[in-house]
Amino acid sequence: ESCGHIRISVPIVRLGDPVTASCIISPNCSKLDQEPQILWRLQDGPEQPGDRQRRLHDGSQESTITLPHVNHTKAFLSCLVPWANSFQVLDQAELQAGYPPASPSNLSCLMYLTTNSLVCQWEPGPETYLPTNFTLKSFRSRADCKYQKDSITDCVPKDRQNTCSIARKHLILYQNMVVWVQAENVLGTSESPKLCLDPMDVVKLEPPVLQVLDMNPELVPRQPGCLWLSWKPWKPGEFIAQECELRYQPQFGGANWTLVSHLPSSEDQFKLCGLHQAPVYTLQIRCIRSPLPGLWSSWSPSLQLRPT
Amino acid sequence: PLPWPQSFLLKSLEQVRKIQTRNSELLEQLCATYKLCHPEELVLLGHSLGILQAPLSRCSIQALQPTKCLSQLHSGLFLYQGLLQALAGISPEVAPTLDMLQLDVANFATTIWQQMETLGVAPTVQPTQSTLPTFTSAFQRRAGGVLTVSHLQTFLETAHCALNHLV
Repeated sequence: ESCGHIRISVPIVRLGDPVTASCIISPNCSKLDQEPQILWRLQDGPEQPGDRQRRLHDGSQESTITLPHVNHTKAFLSCLVPWANSFQVLDQAELQAGYPPASPSNLSCLMYLTTNSLVCQWEPGPETYLPTNFTLKSFRSRADCKYQKDSITDCVPKDRQNTCSIARKHLILYQNMVVWVQAENVLGTSESPKLCLDPMDVVKLEPPVLQVLDMNPELVPRQPGCLWLSWKPWKPGEFIAQECELRYQPQFGGANWTLVSHLPSSEDQFKLCGLHQAPVYTLQIRCIRSPLPGLWSSWSPSLQLRPT
Repeated sequence: PLPWPQSFLLKSLEQVRKIQTRNSELLEQLCATYKLCHPEELVLLGHSLGILQAPLSRCSIQALQPTKCLSQLHSGLFLYQGLLQALAGISPEVAPTLDMLQLDVANFATTIWQQMETLGVAPTVQPTQSTLPTFTSAFQRRAGGVLTVSHLQTFLETAHCALNHLV
């Protein structure tokens, strides 16, 4: 049976808040003086007496101390008694301090056609110094996202990432769903703003593969400053109606891009002319779901081409 | 009849193309894996298993009745959703594609059902699945898969024409 035991009002507090602890020394702790002075030590600080020490009705001694502002995120609070020229530690308690989670922000989601999953990411907000759990929550809805139809299984991120992937079987494509992030630790809970989205409206499209055609001069007379191009849509997104835009720039410092918009998503032969400013041009293409809502793909890898 | 909203038509067309792509993938896998490449050779078996074409008469261009077409579309999709479920366990190779196809068909059925609700033509009670075929052999299940998917492909071609016609 140990001689002393610490009790803490709340083991985890908000940084800067006070905490009160008491240490009780049982009367049958034979090796100690009858009424030893109970001391406290925070981390490796100086030993200090409690605010008050009193004898309880059962003969045990109780010392109480209030730390006005806890400013360690983790600290050990020890209860000691003087012993010969030193001290004896009778008990030790771990103090933790931190903050309740702020609302996660910048929640965004992308639907990946290759993995058939909706991946959402967010910013967790300032450090809380406490174990904080983030959960991606969602439910199915109707057009306006006001009413909850049925909820979807919570998505718990893997090892403290700020991203989570909702599997295809939980999704109803072409229907709106509401998504948000909940953050929780012992000091509180918070939620991000809610997103209302149809997974198919946030498909992560990949750009087409842009190719240059080597036209037979007997069939197609050579025209100075022209290029023949072709492109095919990214296969997993082939079923999605898209429109594309092409950009090109002469290969010299400070040149501007020229944009060719409203192009089809698939083109077997596209003639691009007017390329007289430089021997070599850089070309890229990107696409977006259209006319239905969607997100631009990234630009395709650059092609360095030499016009005729 | 009320015109169908543009976004509904465009989304439905996209869903049809999505399912058709998946369908072709599954047919190719069934052909490559089990050498069952000609659905027309399985008509007899189809009758004995009760795997028939879902009717889409009201969606044919010649006799297009939009509201009744919606209802037939939903009933057909609902039937194929059930048939695809009955095919679960065909084989590990095709299972992933089959799962995705089933989800895509189910989601398209939801899109159609919601449009019927919006137009006020949805029955008060969701349909219940009719009796599905029981397969007594691995061959029957694979052949049933080829039949179901090829019927679905035909079904979708008709649906695509009707939807395109209405865009």
